[in-house]
Amino acid sequence: MRVWLWRAAVLVVALAVWEISARMLNPMLYVGPSRLPAALGRVLSTRDLPPLPGHLWLTLGEIAAAYAFAITGGLWVGFLLGLRQSVGRVYEPLLATLYAVPSVIWYPSLMLFLGLGPASKIAFGFLLGFFPVTLAVLAGIRQVPAALVTVAVSMGARPFTVFRKVMLPAMASTLAGGLRTGLALSVVGVLVGELLGARAGLGYVINYAYGLMMTAEYAALVVLVAVAVLLLDGAAALVEQRVKTWTG
Amino acid sequence: MTTGAPIVVDGVSKRYETPSGAVSAVDAVSLTVRPREFVSLLGPSGCGKSTLLGMIGGLVRPDAGRILIEGAPISGPTPSKVALVFQDPGLFPWRTALDNVGFGLELLGVPAARRREIALGLLEPMGLKGFEARYPRELSGGMRQRVAIARALALDTPILLMDEPFGALDEQTRLLMGEWLVDVRRRTERTVVFVTHSLHEAIALSDRIAVMTARPGRIKDVVEVPLPYPRALDGPDAVALHAKLWAQIREESLRAMEGKS
Repeated sequence: MRVWLWRAAVLVVALAVWEISARMLNPMLYVGPSRLPAALGRVLSTRDLPPLPGHLWLTLGEIAAAYAFAITGGLWVGFLLGLRQSVGRVYEPLLATLYAVPSVIWYPSLMLFLGLGPASKIAFGFLLGFFPVTLAVLAGIRQVPAALVTVAVSMGARPFTVFRKVMLPAMASTLAGGLRTGLALSVVGVLVGELLGARAGLGYVINYAYGLMMTAEYAALVVLVAVAVLLLDGAAALVEQRVKTWTG
Repeated sequence: MTTGAPIVVDGVSKRYETPSGAVSAVDAVSLTVRPREFVSLLGPSGCGKSTLLGMIGGLVRPDAGRILIEGAPISGPTPSKVALVFQDPGLFPWRTALDNVGFGLELLGVPAARRREIALGLLEPMGLKGFEARYPRELSGGMRQRVAIARALALDTPILLMDEPFGALDEQTRLLMGEWLVDVRRRTERTVVFVTHSLHEAIALSDRIAVMTARPGRIKDVVEVPLPYPRALDGPDAVALHAKLWAQIREESLRAMEGKS
């Protein structure tokens, strides 16, 4: 309870500092929180900006697609490398090396290959979300206690049963953490992709407002995205917490 | 060869490849365990006694020799005849005590209601009544190991293999668990092979003690323990036996220590 009070206090202080400093500076460039609700209203009603709902849905669709690919690819590659050790020995160092490269440098190539449409955004969201999922699977497999596997094998469990009844639950919390990070990074990938070059989507609208020097509208959109991402990540954190409690 | 014997170990060897060359863990060991007998494998650490137990349990494949369980050669775990307990209780942290005990039965496809019935019937006499719904992290070390033993007993196998099951427990808990195991054995009439490095534990529990040599593990001597239960370890017979075993083990432990340093 006290923790919540403190957190609320920190938030209030941050908003106050933001408001006060914005008022002391050039209102063209610095937008305080008090101006955001009105700005958000204008975003939804103005004809100067592209209509928000359609772009929002497009972005959400891109995120869903990117994350779906990231989960599928990440789980598949992670389990392949983690469970087939001959394959893992060859490709795991390669994966770690690729992960160390800042992913943004691939984005121009993705736009060249896939164009300015949703495909390059989905590909970039996938690229960013893929690594944490894969690495979480690999870490999760490594942390399955050998003693638990031995117990199951001694009781006659076949490899698939060991996988389902021992490995999956034993690695569930690490996996849940990786899936959460993967979701956050898929969102980042799609939004960054839209900001860097797109003809539609939430990032495109943000960029558009920014280009027209509609700073209040721009700030409202940024805060809107931030709140949405926080809610999404909060939901993911709750799921992760549930999994952790379950698997001890 | 006696066909009625639950366990026959016949000239079994096992070598491990290590970066510094092959190490012989178990070398040409033969041992026959009689029905409902409690045999301890006693030896210095690293003498291959756990490897030998693993081979009897079908978890480790011998390089030479063979192992017969109730007359049939084995090529892997035989959960219908052999259950194992390890030093690490290996309880599944996401399962309650009750569901841990039911794990082996679940693998066999026993229905949930029956699993529950069997598990409750095992946990109660083990002093775990009221702890069925607890998770392993909520249990003490001794309780966890009792749940692990209950999980092995749930398979209702004629043979129980135990690999230093009380090795990680404190002295007092260990003594109580030993007394408790004597009692369990009386009630369940199983054949038990028990790996330990504790002379006291071996004397307190066993019908026979197989003393193993330092690496490579061979059986140096098999000693009968003709003492009645409950055993007083400070009686003259037990003390004499302890001295005899210690004389044999001391030599091997010295060799094991020198081999390590």
